[in-house]
Amino acid sequence: MILIESGDRSPRGFEAKVLFAAQLDGRGHAVTLDDAWLPEDLDRSLRYDAAPYLRALDAARVTRLIVIGAETLADEVLIRLRQIGLPGDIPATLVGRFETRQAQISARSKLAYVLGREPDLIDLTDAQPHPLAPDLAGPAAGLGATRPATGGEANLFVILPEAALEDPSTLPALMAMEHQPGLRLHLVLPRRARDHLKTLRFTPARLFGMYELSPTTLARLADMAAIFAADMQGDRIAVMATEMMASGGIVVDCTPEGTLAGSAAPILRGPPLLPALSDYLRQTVLPNRPAIAAQVTGAPWTGTQRIETLERLIGLTPPACDTAPRPPRTLFLPTNGNGLGHARRCALIAREMEGAKIGFAAFPSCLPMIRAEGHDCLPLVSKSAAHDTGHANDLVNYMRLRRALQSGDRLVFDGGYVFDSIYRTILEKGLDAAWIRRGLWQAGQITPSALHREGVFRRVIVPEEAFGELNADMTFGSHIHKVGPIVGDRPERPVEATRAALAKGLGRDFSTLVVTMLGGGVAADRTAQMQMLAALMERRPDCLHLILIWPGSVVPPALYGWKNTTVCQTRNAAAIAAAADLVVTAAGYNSFHEVLYHGLPAIFIPQMAGFMDDQDRRAQAAADRGLAVAVGAGEMLRLEREVTAILDDGKGAELRAALAAADLPARGNARAAGLIAAEVWT
Amino acid sequence: MNASRRIAYVIEPRFSGGTSAAVAAELEAIARFGPVTVHAIESGMFHGRAVAPQLEATLSALNIDLIWNAPVIAADLVILHNPSFLKFQDNLNAKIICRDMIVVTHENFLRPGGVEGFDVAACLSRIDRATLALGKYVAPISAANRTTVEGWRRTHPLPFGWQVLPETWFNICAFEMAAPPDRPQDRRGRHSRPGFEKFPAPAVLDLCFPPYAAANTILGADALIAEGVVRPHWTLLPFRGIEVAQYFGMIDIMVYFTAATWRESFGRVLAEALAAGKLALSDPDTAASFDGGVIGVRPDEVDAAIAAHLNDPARFARQVRKGQEAIARQSADAFADMFMGLADRLERRAAA
Repeated sequence: MILIESGDRSPRGFEAKVLFAAQLDGRGHAVTLDDAWLPEDLDRSLRYDAAPYLRALDAARVTRLIVIGAETLADEVLIRLRQIGLPGDIPATLVGRFETRQAQISARSKLAYVLGREPDLIDLTDAQPHPLAPDLAGPAAGLGATRPATGGEANLFVILPEAALEDPSTLPALMAMEHQPGLRLHLVLPRRARDHLKTLRFTPARLFGMYELSPTTLARLADMAAIFAADMQGDRIAVMATEMMASGGIVVDCTPEGTLAGSAAPILRGPPLLPALSDYLRQTVLPNRPAIAAQVTGAPWTGTQRIETLERLIGLTPPACDTAPRPPRTLFLPTNGNGLGHARRCALIAREMEGAKIGFAAFPSCLPMIRAEGHDCLPLVSKSAAHDTGHANDLVNYMRLRRALQSGDRLVFDGGYVFDSIYRTILEKGLDAAWIRRGLWQAGQITPSALHREGVFRRVIVPEEAFGELNADMTFGSHIHKVGPIVGDRPERPVEATRAALAKGLGRDFSTLVVTMLGGGVAADRTAQMQMLAALMERRPDCLHLILIWPGSVVPPALYGWKNTTVCQTRNAAAIAAAADLVVTAAGYNSFHEVLYHGLPAIFIPQMAGFMDDQDRRAQAAADRGLAVAVGAGEMLRLEREVTAILDDGKGAELRAALAAADLPARGNARAAGLIAAEVWT
Repeated sequence: MNASRRIAYVIEPRFSGGTSAAVAAELEAIARFGPVTVHAIESGMFHGRAVAPQLEATLSALNIDLIWNAPVIAADLVILHNPSFLKFQDNLNAKIICRDMIVVTHENFLRPGGVEGFDVAACLSRIDRATLALGKYVAPISAANRTTVEGWRRTHPLPFGWQVLPETWFNICAFEMAAPPDRPQDRRGRHSRPGFEKFPAPAVLDLCFPPYAAANTILGADALIAEGVVRPHWTLLPFRGIEVAQYFGMIDIMVYFTAATWRESFGRVLAEALAAGKLALSDPDTAASFDGGVIGVRPDEVDAAIAAHLNDPARFARQVRKGQEAIARQSADAFADMFMGLADRLERRAAA
């Protein structure tokens, strides 16, 4: 394992070693960074960049030491290296830009004193004599991975400085470029500018923060980059540009001074004004794209910057990859939200994909249900107030997904917010990804910010609502695929058999079965409603009232005090509900559609929270059609009246009849499965 | 000595260790014979650091003013101590006009393994460019130091016209000699500047300073303290944390190993320990400068060597006296004899 250190303890040095670690990792080297020191206020995105390499160091496993930025070899770094106590025989290499021979000797001597042996030294002043910027903290090398053929639409990355948004010509130029034939615009901005842009009326479809992804990933996505930002954002822009050129990508220097093009790198000098870029690209670059790419790849500068050159100088041999990649698979990743809706929906679709290689990654509350369906499931870590930061769990999940997935796999995400872990994994691994995104978001939830990561999904599968007025387009494009409601089959077991089994299992006879499914109180506290229902059922000697909750959920202890009410933890709620005379339930996507498609008389008590779907509208749509009853959370007296009406006054039969006659759209399970399983995604 | 001979020293007075101590002792020896001027070069090596205390005290006692950054230095004989102070700058920033220039090489030109210790050619070149002289010389300070100078010359030429003096410009060891203890105990210690080069790996220190020793005192342990290398049986003290005399009161045995990739050109701390009546042990290369007065051992041989001497106090005393005799040969008088003989020889040569 190669330990990479930087010459000083600056945030810049830390970032440089993370970037270099990623480059060596890309060549198959096992690399590690010492986690004993992290910069204060480390950028959130940089934590994701660094996470795969940070380790509590086991000195015995270190086989080589590489110190980058070695022209400034600080005492605190040397002290740490002494603390680590590296094995005595491992090679050590200093990599830096040394202004004088004495600087080389000093660096070499310092490390020699600490290690007790002489390190090698690579002076980038000789090895990479023309850096893209004079003050790079690390060796910006390019992996030179094969770039797809240069025909077709070009992925253009425009890298702007923060001040660009203050120029009134910027947004109109971007808008025009967004629709330019032959170019697929991606905009890269410093974080603050990116966040600001997301609040404006125009947001490009593909918008990135400079730190949102590693420069290696950005470079892999880009065919052309037009760089307007003179500030290299640490080494990031230089690394991205170098990576691109090593693989034949085209870099256009649009900085005011043209410093990049003046560096001897095969970089085109483009117009320093954004409005002029489009014409320049269309008339000068695009017609000559293959020739320019060939020039870039074959330029002497590109040769000096290749990672292979650096490997040779350091004496590194990339490990041979002797293990065949496993067959591709499809990984479903539902976010559990506050119930199991996403996981349940994924499981229903997966049922339709017989024979496909399927796996799941899910949060702990979903594991039993998914495993009960017969799927392997990679556990993800839920957010917790006990974590140091709000994204600590997502960092772990990122690591797990990164290990679990490989290029060629498909990832199917079902949830509302695309976490960094998911977003990064898709782009870093180059996965085909689909987003199952049910509609009916509340007003205010549909923002550019919430949807700006849609661009990483090649397919967005929208399970529609049963009623037309509930369906609305949030985004547009050929990647959007609408399918009918995803609903499970009505349980095959006859109602009477289920009721008999309940009677036997609970040791009591009943003639009326009422099922309440109002959750464990995470999304909304329904204690009062459940207590009231329990009280109502207590007056009915022949009634069995089951409060169904998911295993592990908690309900108020007082609910256990009623004779006719039983709290039941079950994974089989749908089968029990199907045997009920009345179902009282929230109006989440799955339970709502199960009620409709299974023809169950139901009272919906919608649960509303800022982060949830619009259950009020959903419940009301069914009620308006006479297919169910919708009762507000505060309408306790009405709840009592509706229970009586359904159980005693024939309204239950009316609802069943209406449901049987309802013209509901065809279910979309198979269609969604077909979209995911299709051999080729177009 | 010819009293009309003008002697000028060119020094960087902020070296904190052996260089400044050696210069201070040398000034005391030479100033007896006539006026000496001392020029201080403010190099790029010691920003913000003060003049070394021992040098400041000697200059004060001798009533010699430091002349800082003189643009021109003129004398018959100019002695420049430790050229390595020029390693971080492009020029000497002074013109030297003299009959003979002697550059005293306090630092080894090569480290163990033959790796260059500093950019010797650049430093000598800076002096050469700044100096108009009939003769320019390099003066090693010990046999070990001379070996590195000669080793360096095998692959690098000295500037044109320069020569290596056959005389050894040894460190003056004008110490009060203390008697060895009657009943020596296993009280071990070491002292040095806190630089990384001065300390071996922790594993070597563990061999040198074991838990069964009655005491282990390490003065100048700043780096160990920073590294968190803590042993309950070690007393770690920062550089200048206590007076050296007080430290010598805490030990009977000096065990001094450096980083394996660095060697002392002389080992003034060992000479100080011998003068204080301490048994001194070091690696064989470093010990060689003391004519058997310092016991040359490997780290894993330290315990056995100490045990042999503790079990035989007379042997202990003989060994200490042997070391004291060795350093006594590096007296101020001996240095003055060497100096005067050399100065006369150079003067005759110039006249010839």
